[in-house]
Amino acid sequence: MRRNAWRVLRPLLSRLGQAGLVALLVGCIGFALMHALPGDQAFRLAAERYGPDMVDARAAAAMRAELGLDRPLAVQLLEWLGRVLRLDLGRSLVTGEPVIEELRVQIGYTALLAGTALPLSALIGLPLGIVAGLWRGRWPDHAVLGLSVLLRAVPAYALGLALMVLLSVRLRWLPPGGFEGWAELVLPSLTLALGLAAVSSRVARESVAAVAASPVLVFARWKGLSERDAVRRHGLRNAAIPVLAVLGLQLIGLVEGILIVETLFGWPGIGHALVHAIFARDVPLVQGSALIMGLGVVLLNAAVDFACLLIDPRRGRQEA
Amino acid sequence: MSGHVQLRGLTVRAADGTPLVENLSLAARPGTPLVLLGETGSGKSLVLQAIMGALPPRLRRTGEVVLDGQPLPEGRARRGLWGRRIALLPQEPWLALDPTMRALAQVAEVCRLVRGMPPPASRAEAERLLRDLGLEGVARLYPFQLSGGMAQRLALAVLRAADAPLLLADEPTKGLDAERRDEAALRLRDEAGRGRTVIAVTHDIGVARILGGHLAVMLEGQVVEQGPAERLLARPAQDYTRRLVAAEPAQWPMPSAAPRRPAGEAVVAARRLGKRFQGRAVLEDVDIAVGRGETVAVLGPSGCGKTTLGDLLLGLLRPSQGEVRRLAGLAPWRFQKLYQDPPSAFAPHQSMREALRHLGRRHGLAPAVFGGLLDRLRLPPALLDRRPAELSGGELQRFALLRALALDPVFLFADEPTSRLDPITQREVALLLRELVTERDLGLLLVTHDAALARRMADRVFTIEAARLSPAGCAG
Amino acid sequence: MSGLAFGRRHAALPRARLAGAVLLLLLLGFGLLGPWLIEADPARQDLTASLAPPGARFLLGADHLGRSMLARLAHAVRLSFLLSGLTVAAAGLLGTVLGLLAAWEGGWLDRGLSLLADTVLALPGLLLVLLVIAFAPGQILPLACGIALALWVEFFRVTRAQARSLLARPHVEAARLLGFGRAYILRHLILPELAPILLTLAGFGIGGVILTIATLSFISIGLRPPTAELGGMTSEMLPYLAEAPFQALLPSLFVALAVLACHLLAGGRPR
Repeated sequence: MRRNAWRVLRPLLSRLGQAGLVALLVGCIGFALMHALPGDQAFRLAAERYGPDMVDARAAAAMRAELGLDRPLAVQLLEWLGRVLRLDLGRSLVTGEPVIEELRVQIGYTALLAGTALPLSALIGLPLGIVAGLWRGRWPDHAVLGLSVLLRAVPAYALGLALMVLLSVRLRWLPPGGFEGWAELVLPSLTLALGLAAVSSRVARESVAAVAASPVLVFARWKGLSERDAVRRHGLRNAAIPVLAVLGLQLIGLVEGILIVETLFGWPGIGHALVHAIFARDVPLVQGSALIMGLGVVLLNAAVDFACLLIDPRRGRQEA
Repeated sequence: MSGHVQLRGLTVRAADGTPLVENLSLAARPGTPLVLLGETGSGKSLVLQAIMGALPPRLRRTGEVVLDGQPLPEGRARRGLWGRRIALLPQEPWLALDPTMRALAQVAEVCRLVRGMPPPASRAEAERLLRDLGLEGVARLYPFQLSGGMAQRLALAVLRAADAPLLLADEPTKGLDAERRDEAALRLRDEAGRGRTVIAVTHDIGVARILGGHLAVMLEGQVVEQGPAERLLARPAQDYTRRLVAAEPAQWPMPSAAPRRPAGEAVVAARRLGKRFQGRAVLEDVDIAVGRGETVAVLGPSGCGKTTLGDLLLGLLRPSQGEVRRLAGLAPWRFQKLYQDPPSAFAPHQSMREALRHLGRRHGLAPAVFGGLLDRLRLPPALLDRRPAELSGGELQRFALLRALALDPVFLFADEPTSRLDPITQREVALLLRELVTERDLGLLLVTHDAALARRMADRVFTIEAARLSPAGCAG
Repeated sequence: MSGLAFGRRHAALPRARLAGAVLLLLLLGFGLLGPWLIEADPARQDLTASLAPPGARFLLGADHLGRSMLARLAHAVRLSFLLSGLTVAAAGLLGTVLGLLAAWEGGWLDRGLSLLADTVLALPGLLLVLLVIAFAPGQILPLACGIALALWVEFFRVTRAQARSLLARPHVEAARLLGFGRAYILRHLILPELAPILLTLAGFGIGGVILTIATLSFISIGLRPPTAELGGMTSEMLPYLAEAPFQALLPSLFVALAVLACHLLAGGRPR
């Protein structure tokens, strides 16, 4: 029993540690960014706290005294990190709104995009990978490999533009950008899904090919099981394990794709917000959106860990 | 339940027509195991695959497999017999069992899906089958939690569940250590005793001896000799069989009984030596000394700490307690080691010539030194330009000896130096090593799991049990 | 059966590599010799030739400001390869040296370096690059530093893992017993085994960096106009996408070809 508890607790603790590292790294960079900005530190921090309209020399002076900006940098850094760890992200330097409020809506849009693109990529990538794996070494395998290599070489923005030219400019099936209705979701999520499918089809192919040739499946047939029973009972789960494990790595690709695709299509999500904040040098917003995206990846990875624990009994038991 | 098998003129050819198994005619009946004995590449596993109807697709088969008077059907129809009338025990069963399914379920699914029993009855039957093989404690464990021997018993339970009269076993002892090996062979003989027809394939003459029954010795795709195992192993008629039997360590000549010099000064000595890994004591209170010109053997099953002892004596590991003393005033490279897996002891991209040139340059050795050693170790100079992957295990082990001897060693630690070699090569390399100990006045520490080999090689034999070293009794 | 299928795969591999090498040579030739051979000035505008289609005067057409696409592409390809090559070389060297150190020394140095690597890895690479770029958007140095910062970890981890397993192999132990020193083991036993893996990593690395630079320039936080950059060129032409899709998407074709060449040449299994 205790061993089983540890089996669940261990990946959880390691993901918690990873979340801490994300906060630490993003916080440190955020702090350095704040200090690298031109102009008076106290003015900016006052603006960050009370909104840009409320700032004058008096407020800045009060700020300087209160925060002790004349104290050693190390002390200021610790205080800054403390606030980041409490998810107190400050206010936007541009709008004066709390960063959390700014991001709340955008997180929803990003979740919608990611939530559409991931299943779509599975729908495209997995069947292609399975077909390639079953016909390994023959033409469907080569065709899927070629497609995947090509897709991985084309930049995501170019893929998006090509789809845009094709589907909205030439065929006029879809509106080109913005967010007014469901139709606008198609282009960005398709662009994102194709990029992800280029990778997941390969993983599925390798995994299916490995299981198809594995002694486990051969022995299942030798036992006397029918082909259907052999595949259903001994093929599927064993083939799914590596695919699921690699999903965690795919999430990194998902974040990178989101940054590009949201900016390209003007999708009002968190990646779009981050890129614009970098333009506007709105440090609290840069820090906040990077932190939320980083923590999002850690959270999803933790979910993948648990899914792996459920289907793969070897996880966390290897030394037993 | 019957299960009379006849192979009539069975021939397997590669795609280019080269025969891999040639015109094989053999018969097997219930109760008497049929054992095919041969080295790797003798085509013996192909015979089992041909009976199963599971040859790789580009191989061609001619000739007949007859089961109970009826030629076996071809192609898909043969598949219908799998499990029900023909069962095959896979090589290395721990790789063939489903890692994601508990032991009981793997047995129960055969009862349910192959024999069509209802689920509760399948579970009960599976529990009974596990109990019969002493596996009742592991029903809820996964295959990766089982030892090699247990995994093999589980695979056997799976096959018993479908109750096929014909049981094929492909190298049933591969990957098991000496004790488990004998257990596995005995268990297979039991299967024959229960009225099954057992056909087993092995490269290990010891396994053939235990299985008994009818023995067929294979060489290059052909049966060179066959007959009742007992008679054939006692009085082999063919030259190849004779060499194979003579290669068993128990048949080697004893070391010359002529007055052996007493062991010279100790080259390596340890007192109260102890080693712990992560809190677990691997060795405790070990006293051992190896003198010039003598061989000391340390015997024990895998994982007992015998390699650790050798590494401690060489200074590759630091002892947790006690001390090791090596003969003073000698360069560190005069203490050498031979490895269990010869290919891994050489840099994969270096030819032998290159490796030896580097060694010569490092130590200022004349090329004549290597020339003399090549002769002594019977290594043709043409082999010098090959890389490790292009040399056999026996050749590599002799090159390993060569580079060690070039540095004029006083102590050699040989870690299972012949366990990965074919039997005939094993004998050659081991006897060569024995000659060199006297010739070069070496202290040899030989670590092995083979008691008979230790007796033939060593002046003194020790065993390791529960982390402690003690002199071995006279048995073995 | 699988053995035969594998045989065919291995036979196909060198052919893909050869194709990658040829493609890479063509692109490098275009990037290195192009700016020198093509007389047109990549910055010279001719508004009368705005969006001119490919023809006698402009071999590959002109952009919205009437600049020669051919000349701009040659400069942009050179910039891409130069920048990505330097970045990968710096990150690769740093990661490899640190990885060897960690594997060899073990102990605190190893733990410290591994923790540092884990910290960097906790964040998706592109996110880290963006954070570093935020110090000075549009400039080359933070761009290159950010990418190198995210990239060295991969070299570090691979080198460390490979070197650790190599150092534990019997043939390295045998070499020590035979009296060979660290320098020999590093030069003759570790590096020859490591080199092909590092080259594969570098190939995929250069492809990845070319993609990253183009992408960041496309969203205008990488390199900025008037610098001729493959992603930036597409970005500049975005308003004219419907009228001149050829000129707008042509730079992306060069990105894709460059990345394809790197991946094919690096070979191995796509990860």
